[in-house]
Amino acid sequence: MSQQREQVELVAQPRVVLGKQVKQLRREGWTPGVMYGHGFEPVHLQFETRQLQHILDQVGGSQLIAIQVQEQGKPEMALVRDVQRDPIRQTVLHVDFYRVKMTERLTTEIPLEMVGESPLTERREGILLIGISSVEVECLPGDLVDAIEVDLADLVEIDQAIYVHDLAIPASIDVLTDPDEMIVRIAPLEEEEVLEELEEEVLMPAIEEVEIITEADSEERFSEEG
Amino acid sequence: MLQPKRMKYRKQMRGRMKGQASRGVEVAFGEYGLQALEPGWITARQIEAARRAIVRHVRRRGKYWIRIFPDKPVTAKPAETRMGKGKGAVDHYVAVVKPGRIMFELSGVSEEMAREAMRLASHKLPIQCHFVVREGLATE
Repeated sequence: MSQQREQVELVAQPRVVLGKQVKQLRREGWTPGVMYGHGFEPVHLQFETRQLQHILDQVGGSQLIAIQVQEQGKPEMALVRDVQRDPIRQTVLHVDFYRVKMTERLTTEIPLEMVGESPLTERREGILLIGISSVEVECLPGDLVDAIEVDLADLVEIDQAIYVHDLAIPASIDVLTDPDEMIVRIAPLEEEEVLEELEEEVLMPAIEEVEIITEADSEERFSEEG
Repeated sequence: MLQPKRMKYRKQMRGRMKGQASRGVEVAFGEYGLQALEPGWITARQIEAARRAIVRHVRRRGKYWIRIFPDKPVTAKPAETRMGKGKGAVDHYVAVVKPGRIMFELSGVSEEMAREAMRLASHKLPIQCHFVVREGLATE
């Protein structure tokens, strides 16, 4: 289990540009964002893109960030709730921060960190399949951890899996993800037939094999009426 | 080769491929993926050729997923036919792909091997693609 690292600080400015006009902000090197929380009014913010990108690369969804809004006193503690990215360039388009109350339980996702290697994958006797890469939890902000470790060395048999209920999670954190959700599994290697199939010629299935539902329906209707 | 089992209508109009994909843009099953950078029609034959290129490279070590399905019928008129006399017969099926779409995924192999398998697969496709790694996958 990774403990919380040192506090990360992020400087923000209040944002007055809203809606589609934020394109202009992005061109000028700012990223639009919003900060909201239980019992707080949502605040529109803008962040320097380079600094934001740098911080998002360091923190996951479970690390508290101190957001210092310019011209305001104390920094606000918040979690990254959602990051919208351009699907191709992977640049950050918009970011949501969830402002926390240190005395109120919150729901967030903690990433899973794969450590070690299964002896089966090391000997190339099995394939490691990854199911989920984070778990949803409920806890006090102070109890959050950066990541939960999953030890792959425990996987010694084919079809053996690690589920959410197998994780070592502190008692102060309640897991909301289904306990039977699979995290990793060792699958057997593909059958030799898969490779034999490569040698076979590609046969185009007949187009006529596709059943057309509407034609069958209209024929039925016609015969019923007749 | 992939093709639908049953369809509501035999023929379709061509349609437009405006904008970027909004669904299927994240690597969801495997660790690595092949992402489309251009819009295009990927035929069932091209999907099969790319699949074979992946399997041939990773052999039995990896598991792969195909995230696109050729469900759009494309018609063609027979050779040396005069124009008119209606729309041609269904010739083949294609998958409509927009930029950002993850087309293939791979798991259980090293990044180096996955990169090479996806490179080989991308040569079987009519569009520009790039290799992507699953987001938020923290490894030691």
